[in-house]
Amino acid sequence: MSDLNKLTIKEAREGLLSKKFSSKELVVDCLSQIKKNASNLNTFVTVCEKESIKSAETADISKPLGGIPVAVKDNFLTLGIRTTASSKLLDKYIAQYDATVVAKLKSAGAIIIGKTNMDAWAHGSSTETSDFGPTKNPWDITRLPGGSSGGSAAAIAADEAIISVGSETAGSIRQPASWSGVVGFKPTYGRVSRYGIIAMKSSTDSPGPICKTVDDAAEVLGIISGHDPFDATSIDEVSWIKPSPLTSLKGIKLGLPLSYFSPQTKPEVKTTILAAAETLKKLGAEIIELSDVLDPKYSIAVYTILQRSEVSSNLARFDGIRYGHDRSYFSEEAKRRIMLGTYSLSAGYYDAYYLKAQKVRTLICQDFDKHFTRVDAMISPISPTTALPVGATKGQSMFGEIQDQLVEPSSIAGLAGISIPCGFDNNGLPIGLNIMAPQLREDIVYQIAKIFEDNTEYHLQRPNL
Amino acid sequence: MSSTIITDDQFQHIAKLSRLEIKPEESYIKDQLAQAAKYVDVLKELDTDKVSPTFQVNHKKNVFRDDIITPSFTQSQAISQAPKTKDGYIVTAATIKK
Repeated sequence: MSDLNKLTIKEAREGLLSKKFSSKELVVDCLSQIKKNASNLNTFVTVCEKESIKSAETADISKPLGGIPVAVKDNFLTLGIRTTASSKLLDKYIAQYDATVVAKLKSAGAIIIGKTNMDAWAHGSSTETSDFGPTKNPWDITRLPGGSSGGSAAAIAADEAIISVGSETAGSIRQPASWSGVVGFKPTYGRVSRYGIIAMKSSTDSPGPICKTVDDAAEVLGIISGHDPFDATSIDEVSWIKPSPLTSLKGIKLGLPLSYFSPQTKPEVKTTILAAAETLKKLGAEIIELSDVLDPKYSIAVYTILQRSEVSSNLARFDGIRYGHDRSYFSEEAKRRIMLGTYSLSAGYYDAYYLKAQKVRTLICQDFDKHFTRVDAMISPISPTTALPVGATKGQSMFGEIQDQLVEPSSIAGLAGISIPCGFDNNGLPIGLNIMAPQLREDIVYQIAKIFEDNTEYHLQRPNL
Repeated sequence: MSSTIITDDQFQHIAKLSRLEIKPEESYIKDQLAQAAKYVDVLKELDTDKVSPTFQVNHKKNVFRDDIITPSFTQSQAISQAPKTKDGYIVTAATIKK
């Protein structure tokens, strides 16, 4: 068999269990695809060729992800494997332990095929700020895949792995999934442990899966979720269990926040999202237009202040003493963010910036609480645009914040959300549908996404590589 | 949030607090900081006088665990990534003059 790299978890497991092919063959097909695209796409910082083949030879295929190749974002620590967060400062750092997510994937039998490219330190929404060069979008290699988990999203779009994991702080799973035409599931804050992930904005960092289908993403989420004593913000829940799919959305109320369709929204994005709403309506949902949802522009400002502040603190540990190079290795984006954060936390400015932003965060949470008494979930675009050309971030110090404005509010409030493919623009670039629900309501996010996917074929389209 | 002009002195002070060396060709970062500081002024539109801050969205507080020793790094694992080591210790810059 060939093209095993194109399979979903379910298909791969069926083939492995019925001995149609081996885990080694599955891994080899993924490695071949990675090699074939390497110079065009630059999806991986490190490819674990020898290690993944060796692991495949002894894979226990009876486990839930037994023998399945997984691409891991390069900010997850992986024991014995170089972990750089796409920064030159850590270009020689070999992780001394596994992140909890990585340990859970390994114990479920998954095989790490490599570490995916990202915006350096996860600072961005393009994967263009990687110190190892930008990742390109498999749908059009003159364009960006989104970010910061752009390598993971592009690797899945290009069939270079069966599954992948990324991390979202404000859009970093859902936005690259949207631009790359794959599924990105952002869990409730605290649902998946942050332990062993290079910290960015700790108060919203949420690891999660990026996969080919809604079911694959749900499967992976089930495996990586659950309480972790090593993460003090981990919620006291056992692993998430995927609910039964629905046959109709009758009785489900979906809010359409009108403020999420700003004048910057590309017309094709707007019409595609409204068409998706129509599809969900035909499936039984009641669509309710919400005219008074807080404008996402406030979230841009809140996120900018809080992200910079937390970054300035989190990146203080990189002093070149215990690991990594010294601070002169930080690239421009990191320097800019550290400095703005230091400014907003410094004497005389704390109340005006940091404290004010945390108060507005309360207003954002309250606004969601209010609307979720009327609707079960909300739908919106993920991004006002489709994938932008390589170079789009140059000289744009707030590129990411503005690109991610439609996913920032739900990230700031720690909600559950997903991006699923829901159409294409006139250039054939994918458009993602954002489904947001209250904290711990991954069940309804999954059910809405699943029924939409079952009744559409956008997820079946693949880029021509 | 009235001041969105960052002076050279302030800029140098922030760089010092951040432990970053800013090269002359990177001085444009100062203007970008001022731009960002100006952008976030939009928050002034919202009245937050009677609003409490939310530092933590899943309302966790003081998470304790028992102080039990569990298997951890060996000394050699712990120092394996340090750029400079000597006799099993990590070498740092001197902070006290001889």
